[in-house]
Amino acid sequence: MGMKKEGLKLFENGKRIDGRAYDELRPIKMEVGVLKRADGSCYLEWGGNKVLAAVYGPRECLPRHTQDPLKARINYRYNMAPFSTDERVRPGPSRRSIEISKLSKEALEHVIFTEYFPKTSIDIFVEILQADAGTRCAGLTAASLALADAGIPMKSLITACAAGKIDGKVVLDLGKLEDNFGEADLPIAYMPRTKELVYLQMDGDLTKDEFKEALRLALKGCDEIYRIQRDALKKAYEGEVNGR
Amino acid sequence: MKRFVIPGEKLEGRPNAHYYREGNNYYSQVFGILEKKDNFLKIVPLKGKYMPHKGDYVIGIVIDVKYGGVIVDINSSHFAFLPTKNSLNYKDIVSAEVIDIDEVRNATLGNERKLFGGEIIEINPVRIPRVIGKNNSMLKLLKDKTGCSFFVGRNGRIWIKGKNSPILADAIFKIEREAHTSGLTERIEKYLDEMLKG
Repeated sequence: MGMKKEGLKLFENGKRIDGRAYDELRPIKMEVGVLKRADGSCYLEWGGNKVLAAVYGPRECLPRHTQDPLKARINYRYNMAPFSTDERVRPGPSRRSIEISKLSKEALEHVIFTEYFPKTSIDIFVEILQADAGTRCAGLTAASLALADAGIPMKSLITACAAGKIDGKVVLDLGKLEDNFGEADLPIAYMPRTKELVYLQMDGDLTKDEFKEALRLALKGCDEIYRIQRDALKKAYEGEVNGR
Repeated sequence: MKRFVIPGEKLEGRPNAHYYREGNNYYSQVFGILEKKDNFLKIVPLKGKYMPHKGDYVIGIVIDVKYGGVIVDINSSHFAFLPTKNSLNYKDIVSAEVIDIDEVRNATLGNERKLFGGEIIEINPVRIPRVIGKNNSMLKLLKDKTGCSFFVGRNGRIWIKGKNSPILADAIFKIEREAHTSGLTERIEKYLDEMLKG
């Protein structure tokens, strides 16, 4: 949470700084199967976020001592492009990106049937081309679509979304300014079918009631994103069902 | 009736494969197409790595030579072992039958035949049945028209050799692209006639 400029009002007359209502998502666009060399891929635009996710595998896990004889190993790489923010990001893994990669990997381990592919690895690469707050949610959403596109067996898709608090008001899907100058941020990911949370982090402070409200909002946002995810998958292969 | 299924989608009953069970309900594991005929459900995944089955014929590339045989890349998540006394070298191309698969998905091959010359094209393994056609109708058509010798592996690799092999490759890619449409055999026949004339 950075220093707020004098007089900057994030929430006024029921509208946010970008004109959204408190429970409104930014516009989201998803496209599946954009990379030819990858087994599965997804390009996602979420407000100002631009994310590219690619999935390779299951393939032989190298180096061999990292193989697990009982299940597949999942490698998740969250990486921000140097040009993704206003200030240049130093290339390579940082403390932040290592943390996000680890948590996202653990979220996906809950849904992928890893035991079907012993001794292999499933490599997921998430590149943030342009960052505008909420990139970890955007990355996880794109990664789960890319996994489905790669034909990897999963219990469910994963849907991620954030909620937060700005000017004392709990709102859905924080934008860049709201994230920087707001009071709290709560990114979550869950499995829409079972309503199980697989990812939850919090930055800033929320009271117990505010937390419940934020969680409720975030889950509502997730349901909306889940619908977009399903449509994106179906759109990519539309001819397959209607063509016959 | 056909419709899409998405990982985690609840199904009306128990399908042939690619499902998991929780309580009394069945859910899809993959993104694919659900076909419903009478009371029979069938899930066809739209993409995915080739998973070897006993009796499949595959095309492999030798990637390592061991004492009792060779390790073969069969375009799957795991490499396969081919026990053989024939001398096979690195980068040799073989067609072979899947003899056995163990619990950690290591496949053993047999009935191998070395393929000389020619080239390999790769398509989505899910589309292979369409290249073969009903009662080998598409195979027969391709073979009669182009006069090429070729071998279709279940793992999505097709080995082709002959004068008209570029035209054959184009036709196969066309089949892959239009696999879901009807009247494909006639269209491919027309396409081949046109290409071979010009």
